[in-house]
Amino acid sequence: MKILVCISNVPDTTTKIRLAEGNASIDTTGIQWVINPWDELSLTRALELRDDPASGVKTVTVAHVGPASSEPTIRKALAIGADDAIRVNAESPDAWYVATQLAEVLKKEQFDIIMCGIESSDYNGSVVGGMVAELAGIPSVSAVSSLSIEGGIPLITREIDGGKEILTVGAPLLAVVQKGIAKEPRIAAMRGIMMARTKPIKVYEPVPAEPLTEIVALEKPAPRSACKMVDASEPAKLIDLLRDEAKVI
Amino acid sequence: MARQIIFAAALLITFGVFLYTVNRLVKYFSFTRAAFPVRDFWKRTGVMLKVAFGQTKIFRKPVLGFIHAMVFWGFCVILLGSVEMVIDGLAGIEKSLSFLGPLHDFIMASGDIFAVIIAIAVLVFLARRLFFSISRFEGAEMKKKSHLDANISLTLIFLLMVSLISMNLGYLGYMQFSGGSAEGLYPFSALLLKTFGETSGGSFHIIYEASWWVHILTIFFFANYLPYSKHFHVFMSVPNVFLSRLDPPGKLDNMESITREVKIMMDPETAFTAAPADAAPERFGVKDAEDSTWKNYFDSLSCTECGRCTSVCPANITGKLLSPRKIMMDLRARMKEKGPLMVKNGRDFSDGRSLLRDFITEEELWACTTCNACVQECPVNINHPSLILDMRRYLVLEEASAPGELKAVFNNIENNGAPWQYSAEDRLNWAKDIEVPVMADLHARDGKPEYLFWVGCAGAFDDRYRKVAGAFAKILNHLKISYAVLGKEETCTGDPARRAGNEMLFQMQALQVISTLKGYGVTKIITTCPHCFNTLKNEYPDLGGNFEVISYVSLLKEFIASGKLKISASVMEGKKVTYHDPCYLGRANGIYNEPRVVISKMGADLEEMERNRSFALCCGAGGAQMFKEAEKGEKEIFIERTEDALKTGAEIIATACPFCMTMLTDGLKYKNREEEIKNYDIAELVAMGMGL
Repeated sequence: MKILVCISNVPDTTTKIRLAEGNASIDTTGIQWVINPWDELSLTRALELRDDPASGVKTVTVAHVGPASSEPTIRKALAIGADDAIRVNAESPDAWYVATQLAEVLKKEQFDIIMCGIESSDYNGSVVGGMVAELAGIPSVSAVSSLSIEGGIPLITREIDGGKEILTVGAPLLAVVQKGIAKEPRIAAMRGIMMARTKPIKVYEPVPAEPLTEIVALEKPAPRSACKMVDASEPAKLIDLLRDEAKVI
Repeated sequence: MARQIIFAAALLITFGVFLYTVNRLVKYFSFTRAAFPVRDFWKRTGVMLKVAFGQTKIFRKPVLGFIHAMVFWGFCVILLGSVEMVIDGLAGIEKSLSFLGPLHDFIMASGDIFAVIIAIAVLVFLARRLFFSISRFEGAEMKKKSHLDANISLTLIFLLMVSLISMNLGYLGYMQFSGGSAEGLYPFSALLLKTFGETSGGSFHIIYEASWWVHILTIFFFANYLPYSKHFHVFMSVPNVFLSRLDPPGKLDNMESITREVKIMMDPETAFTAAPADAAPERFGVKDAEDSTWKNYFDSLSCTECGRCTSVCPANITGKLLSPRKIMMDLRARMKEKGPLMVKNGRDFSDGRSLLRDFITEEELWACTTCNACVQECPVNINHPSLILDMRRYLVLEEASAPGELKAVFNNIENNGAPWQYSAEDRLNWAKDIEVPVMADLHARDGKPEYLFWVGCAGAFDDRYRKVAGAFAKILNHLKISYAVLGKEETCTGDPARRAGNEMLFQMQALQVISTLKGYGVTKIITTCPHCFNTLKNEYPDLGGNFEVISYVSLLKEFIASGKLKISASVMEGKKVTYHDPCYLGRANGIYNEPRVVISKMGADLEEMERNRSFALCCGAGGAQMFKEAEKGEKEIFIERTEDALKTGAEIIATACPFCMTMLTDGLKYKNREEEIKNYDIAELVAMGMGL
């Protein structure tokens, strides 16, 4: 059995986002790029399955749509333990474009389980997974919080309103996973870091595709206003503020 | 002649068996890894004279220390007498060293007196072991054999001393009755002789002969019993002290194999193209006995299981699994188990067991706070944390295994340059209301400050400690010190990563910091955080970062002493203040006096805790413990330490470390005493004293 984990390259979660000129994209200078946290957990679960001989999973491949500058993030995934990687050499203007490229990868190579994070922490679009499955014509399951393989058949638990749903899906399938799929992200061992330097990254050129969306403008949330302290001896002032300024009473 | 032949045969057997043992041990040592090179002969001799022959560390427990010292010194003198006995036995003469005259008299006389002292001391030791319950002698690792071992050795020593006295007595008696003159002086035996009535010279001769043989044969047996018992200590401890690690206890050894990897990674030219290094070690860190260094193994053979290390270990005191003594005993036991197999089948042989997990659990390893109390206490300079850390290194570097919280810390340090998840852009938020010069700005204006103030992640991000960074900056500003901070360019020194076993991440951080510092031509660094201080000062030189690193407490003390910093001696007048020694200022770097001088200059009454200075108990946060849940135990270390502080009745607990501050503040909250007792940093106290 082979698993493909799709990974997205996102700014580290502590990054202070600045908008680039034109306010339609972010200023990438000085940004530390990391594997999208949901994808990192997917990868961790995929590696856990591979490391368990009973699962029947033999290899874990990571796929990424992005330019050569995102290779450090791919190497990180290889250092953590992925066996090999595929990079589609293109910027990723929107989800549709990325999904098209990933679906194309699935045409070229056979995988039994494809894992996508439920969203990426940059644009939080939450659509790539579903699109890829649809384009590739394979079943997809969303909001997967647990994935195991029992007797060669993927067993999935997904969160539903007020409970859990447990289902089996025949391979190939695409699992759109959420946090909980793995306890905590795996870290790279020294051998992994050393081996990652020589593990293969296959580069595919993109197929032509038109993005379906265009970002017209990005806007940062209004800064939180400063906290106002009211002295305990002036309850009337508090009421005034709540009524006149906050307009909540 | 027959007597000489029997003696020579006994001696030969003794040496034969001993050589067999030594040969085995040499083979075991050959399986171990290299440690530091043994240089500084004179410095080592000094340490040996002080710690081994001077018995300085054993005196940390004064009464028992004194008794042990008497036994040790007595053994040294009596050993000279034994040398004479060997010569006598081989040559068939008596008192062969008597040509030394007064010196011989002295050796014999002191040996005679020491024999009594040692016999009494040994009885005290035996009584302690047999009739009292001494907690230090108990513990999971103290099996029946350990106790039996001690009692056998003590009994043998007692027999040695009794036979020595009776030999001297017999010698004096038979000389007196045969009309000969005794060589050497035997004050105690002479006294003893007077209590004997009429005994024939012949009987004394028999007593002498019999005691002589009992004594020398016991020595021969003892010498060969020792290497197989915990009392191998008798042979190994003096050389072990000579071979002590001379680095400051806070310094961890650099892993060269990792440095090579990091340099490949950081060099963009070779980063992804370089082939895996052929010379990579077969294993990073320590998994099994043969991965340890010869010094670790030497340490384990020198350990006599006295338990002084374990009795001061904060983890052990609070009921956690870790016992530093057990770590040493386990290494020795594992080598005893695997050594013969490796001798037979080669070093690569695996018996399916290992030091890690089959002897030492991960839970034990993750409980260490690297406070170095065990190192401080060990009378023979054993270094336990270096082995514990090397085993953590194996877990992280080879197995990518660490407590979950620490994995998050690794990711944070790697991604945002701090153990917590904060953006580097917020690094100057503590200085919003204070004028703090930033290195990059100064540099742009061609300015070069005298000092770099290294704020540290806690100074930048920890709500409470940001106030300390602010207080210290205000002092620097007030004194018009030429300084600057790195601001957004500062990043974690790597200390928590290194102490959590992630040597790779530590070195990446260190090399990055060193390059930033060198880029600005920094020569002098002031730190508030003792962990940053220790890393910058002691560990960066291994990676090419040589700076003069100064702790702020030293600087404050200096400013006060020189009169540059004027402090009102009345602000703290009559206030009871206690000071908690941070491990990384105190034991790790010997800074004990400076903060105390500062406190007393402010007119405060310094009330010491019972455990203070080098005896101070860790707050529980060192060794990356700050960032993880404590291992399972009966009590939290910070509560134990807070109780120490509360016992002094002080209204202010002063400290000089961000982690200690967090721990003690939590302790005060836990005890519901945070309203009446305040926890201040030395810098804050000084700022108050200056009215800032």
